[in-house]
Amino acid sequence: MGATSIPVMAPAAAEIFLAIAGMILLMAGVFRKSGSMAVVSWGAVVALILAAVLVLTHGGTSAEPVFFGMFSTGPFAQFAKLLVLAGSAIAIVMSLDYMKREGIDRFEFPVLVVLATLGMMMMVSANDLIGLYVGLELQSLSLYVIASIRRDSLRSTEAGLKYFVLGAISSGMLLYGSSMIYGFAGTTDFNGLAQVFSKLGDSGPAVGVIIGLVFVISGLAFKVSAVPFHMWTPDVYEGSPTPVTALFAIAPKVAAVALLLRVMIEPFGDLIAQWQQVIVLISIFSMVLGAFAAMVQTSIKRLMAYSSIGHMGFLLVGIAAGNESGVSGVLIYLFVYLFMNVGTFACILSMRQQGRYVEGIGDLSGLSKTHPMMAFALLIFLFSMAGIPPLAGFFGKWYVFMAAIESGLYALAIIGVLASVVGAFYYLRIIKIMYFDEADEPLDAEIGGEMRVVMLVTAAVTLLFFVLPAPIVATARAAASALMGG
Amino acid sequence: MTDLLAEYLPILIFLVIAVGLSAVMVAASMIIVPQKPDSEKVSAYECGFEAFNDSRGQFDVRFYLVAILFIIFDLEVAFLFPWAVSLGNIGIFGFWSMMVFLGVLTIGFVYEWRKGALEWE
Amino acid sequence: MYVAIVFLPALGALIAGTFRAQLGDRGSQLVTCGAMGLSMILGIVAFIDVALGGNTRTIELFDWISSGSMQASWALKFDTLTAVMVMVVTVVSTMVHVYSIGYMSHDPHKPRFMAYLSMFTFAMLMLVTADNLVQLFFGWEGVGLASYLLIGFWYHKPTANAAAIKAFVVNRVGDFGFALGIFGVYILFDTVSFDAIFAAAASKQEASITFLWWEANAITVLSILLFIGAMGKSAQLGLHTWLPDAMEGPTPVSALIHAATMVTAGVFMVARLSPLIEYSADALTVITFVGAATAFFAATVGLCQNDIKRVIAYSTCSQLGYMFFALGVSAYSAAIFHLMTHAFFKALLFLGAGSVIHAMSDEQDMRKMGGIWRKIPLTYSLMWIGSLALAGVPFFAGYYSKDLIIEAAFASGSAVGEFAFWMGITAAVLTAFYSWRLIIMTFHGKTRASDEVFSHVHESPKVMTIPLIVLAIGAIFSGWLGYDLFAGDARADFWGPALLVLEGHDTIEGAHHVPLWVKLCPIIAGVLGIGTAYWFYMLNPSIPGKLATTFRPIYLFLLNKWYFDELYDAVFVRPAMRIGRALWKGGDGAIIDGFGPDGISAVARVLAGRAGRLQTGYVYHYAFAMLIGVIGFVSWFVLV
Repeated sequence: MGATSIPVMAPAAAEIFLAIAGMILLMAGVFRKSGSMAVVSWGAVVALILAAVLVLTHGGTSAEPVFFGMFSTGPFAQFAKLLVLAGSAIAIVMSLDYMKREGIDRFEFPVLVVLATLGMMMMVSANDLIGLYVGLELQSLSLYVIASIRRDSLRSTEAGLKYFVLGAISSGMLLYGSSMIYGFAGTTDFNGLAQVFSKLGDSGPAVGVIIGLVFVISGLAFKVSAVPFHMWTPDVYEGSPTPVTALFAIAPKVAAVALLLRVMIEPFGDLIAQWQQVIVLISIFSMVLGAFAAMVQTSIKRLMAYSSIGHMGFLLVGIAAGNESGVSGVLIYLFVYLFMNVGTFACILSMRQQGRYVEGIGDLSGLSKTHPMMAFALLIFLFSMAGIPPLAGFFGKWYVFMAAIESGLYALAIIGVLASVVGAFYYLRIIKIMYFDEADEPLDAEIGGEMRVVMLVTAAVTLLFFVLPAPIVATARAAASALMGG
Repeated sequence: MTDLLAEYLPILIFLVIAVGLSAVMVAASMIIVPQKPDSEKVSAYECGFEAFNDSRGQFDVRFYLVAILFIIFDLEVAFLFPWAVSLGNIGIFGFWSMMVFLGVLTIGFVYEWRKGALEWE
Repeated sequence: MYVAIVFLPALGALIAGTFRAQLGDRGSQLVTCGAMGLSMILGIVAFIDVALGGNTRTIELFDWISSGSMQASWALKFDTLTAVMVMVVTVVSTMVHVYSIGYMSHDPHKPRFMAYLSMFTFAMLMLVTADNLVQLFFGWEGVGLASYLLIGFWYHKPTANAAAIKAFVVNRVGDFGFALGIFGVYILFDTVSFDAIFAAAASKQEASITFLWWEANAITVLSILLFIGAMGKSAQLGLHTWLPDAMEGPTPVSALIHAATMVTAGVFMVARLSPLIEYSADALTVITFVGAATAFFAATVGLCQNDIKRVIAYSTCSQLGYMFFALGVSAYSAAIFHLMTHAFFKALLFLGAGSVIHAMSDEQDMRKMGGIWRKIPLTYSLMWIGSLALAGVPFFAGYYSKDLIIEAAFASGSAVGEFAFWMGITAAVLTAFYSWRLIIMTFHGKTRASDEVFSHVHESPKVMTIPLIVLAIGAIFSGWLGYDLFAGDARADFWGPALLVLEGHDTIEGAHHVPLWVKLCPIIAGVLGIGTAYWFYMLNPSIPGKLATTFRPIYLFLLNKWYFDELYDAVFVRPAMRIGRALWKGGDGAIIDGFGPDGISAVARVLAGRAGRLQTGYVYHYAFAMLIGVIGFVSWFVLV
């Protein structure tokens, strides 16, 4: 393929489709006079679903990277993309009611979600440090705007601005690291980098490469909100409108973890001795901080922020393991994480008192009496996040810890288990409040139809995962072996 | 080594011309134009703002908006120049790449137009 | 179709349980009974296809556990053994479902009850169709759970709750053995799939297993461990104490779970594992001994009980003993044969008793009954049929199967077989005796009920009597119809590879060639027992009282069920409570809580406060933290 002819487009069909769909939706939204939020939202959901179909049909084969080595597909990318698309689509569905009630039903929101999703898919498929950066920025810029979508609220704009400033710093780090690596290795292409590092002798890589690697990891760690690059997370989660928080907690996390995993395994796979230490450290920090800091929170959204920091710590355990079972464990964990978080946020989004949205943990008191089904669903999600068997969350943790043990990281696995014990405390505290405390002011009775469906489906998946884990486990294993082999 | 330096000769010439031209313009305005300075005239010109002021002062967000929009199209042009020069080498793929890029920008332009971002009032 | 048999009840349970508010009583009854009825029809078709047609099959549903060499799938294995069980379970369960509509008509929680019943049936079907030990264990625990829920169905009664907990705990003891057995099998055979285990069983005959310093034949140890599981579920001597107490549950539950199906799961399990257990003569000896002892023990206790359901419960326990010693002498098909006939006539007896209880306004004490046979003739005659079958009177179902078992025990020729034979004969006399004691005390003589109760006595509605009639047909004909297949010359073709009997162990064949007096013994025993009962309770009612005073120690011994409950209470329960209390107050409260949860949580609280304070809200603090992080990592590499 020469540089001048039209390259093969088919592997990127889903991305191209999504880009066009995003633009069409933007035009549709801007040319309709009013009330376009619902139409554009459902359009966006349909576009995301169609993109998922395209991913299924076109994204599965591990062909040679296309677009001059910028873009690669395969079972791994396919798995991650499907999760991302699902997360985004559900986030849009869950936002509808909230946005309308809060008077921020701008059609730009779904369009931005579509564009952010496009960025995430690019991240997952990136096969070059430059492609990676472009995808990452497309995602981040969209998310900065989304964070402050409620522009007349001080907290929302503050959240957006903080996210933007800190995100810019992290992007700077990522770029700086990339340039160091390019300077010392002579290429930005993943395959090329892998080749360079596979030929290293006993002397190990140059210091510059290591410093570059640390910077790249730091930049990506910001995106997965791992300690000590996590500081933005609680403020942004709390400040953003709740559906936006739900989106933040789900899709970008999945994409960033997949990206981090890919970058660590593919180009830097031979430098595992170096990056493993860093990942282990930030994994431990994240697990411990996530567990402890969440205890004293009173806002459920802040609590979810620390919870997601903790979960990222557990996911990093799987990445740190750096072996095939680690990769498959991370994928399974991501799958489970998606459902648990979607479900939990569906519950949070159903918390209203006299038409007003509330987000204090104390507001949940007496929920078991006023909303027994919702309380039970939330109970399932929280137990699952605490890692109590036989719920899905337990399996996620189990697979990553097994992988860590397999590659000899016993201390990490033990710390992880201890952290998850501490973490169980704050999940259980919510359950205690729901089931044993008296309600001073009950939540509104009515729950939206979409929320019911989302809660039911996610609760069912979380509860019954153990009955039929085989398809997911098998798919994750296949994806992992494709990644490790490729 | 000399080959390498020779490649940069056009840039050197460009620099010399640029410096010379601007020197000539400044010198000519000093020499030819009658000089009647007052305090308004000698103060630095800064887009209608006080040059030296408290940095926390407020200004109309519309300036910011226009600046952002300007930068986007400025960059568009910056990309168009090298593209136009090398179109012969990059062939059909290069041509369509730029068309897609322009298309995307146009969509953005239509959006801001419809949103009223281009109207001052 | 085969999948539907198993999952229809589950579907019924789910629908009735989830939508109980929307469906209402009638709806949930219709849904569960409909699903069961369909399942029963399919079950009978499956029996014809698999057992009579010989179309053995295994249906793989999907993988369940796949971890290294540990492979377990959800699969439905349909061979003759399963087909027989499926037919019995679905038929009895359907009858009980229908019967419950009438019996529970005054209960406010009908949908819950129906859902539990269907859930139980699903678990039981899962158990009998399992194709590996893990799935079997799933069903095993599922029926245990359902049994627990149903015994404690009237949760406002403290005795019902206590009985439910007791059933659960005692079963746990058995399940512990069962679980150990499964682990052992996995270690020995490296698989939990039945087919693979059975294929390898012969080659592992000599394998031994070492535990600490004690070495034993592996198959014997595993067989006995698995048998302990069976003992718990099937209420064999030692682990039987929960069964009589389980009568606290509603009567249809007693009929379905504690007579016809769940308690026979142990028998089924041993029969299913016959290709393994057959290789261990020692294990077979143990099984025979326990079975025979149970048969005798339970029959003696049954003599003195006054609660109508408890009499039948001990009778069940005793009959299960018969089945087990049949298994022990390798007469597996006889055991399953008896299981089937027993399911019919015991369910009949229980439901009949339920009909009596219903008629007597929930009175269960036989001392407060009597003289009601004219008022409820249908129930009365059905109870006769059930009792005739139980006592083994010729040409009723029990006659064929029980005779076969007793003859097989004699034919085995071993010492323990002879022990089982005599125990069986004795128990047969006792069985006939207490059965007629029950009939006479309940139906005959002058009534001992209060006038108010007596005047209310009425025949049960059709929805209760029709299932009884169906079961009665089974109690009359199932023995006669099944004899040739289960015990006659057709048995080899009928069973196929489902059961394994080694050369020289074929006691069924032997049973056809025993001396005449052996063949007559059971019949004489039955007649003797019935005659004595008539003499004692009908013709000369003063004798029992005199006997009780003359042999007071023996009477009390029997009345108190050989003091098993008291013994367990003194040996296990109270010491366990004492140890528990000591550990709780001293160990847990003082030491572990002090340094553990309380101490750690105090530390955790402090740490949490600090971690929360890190979050200042200032962007430059955040950026600073990020930079410190990067610099920290970089210097880590450069310096280390």
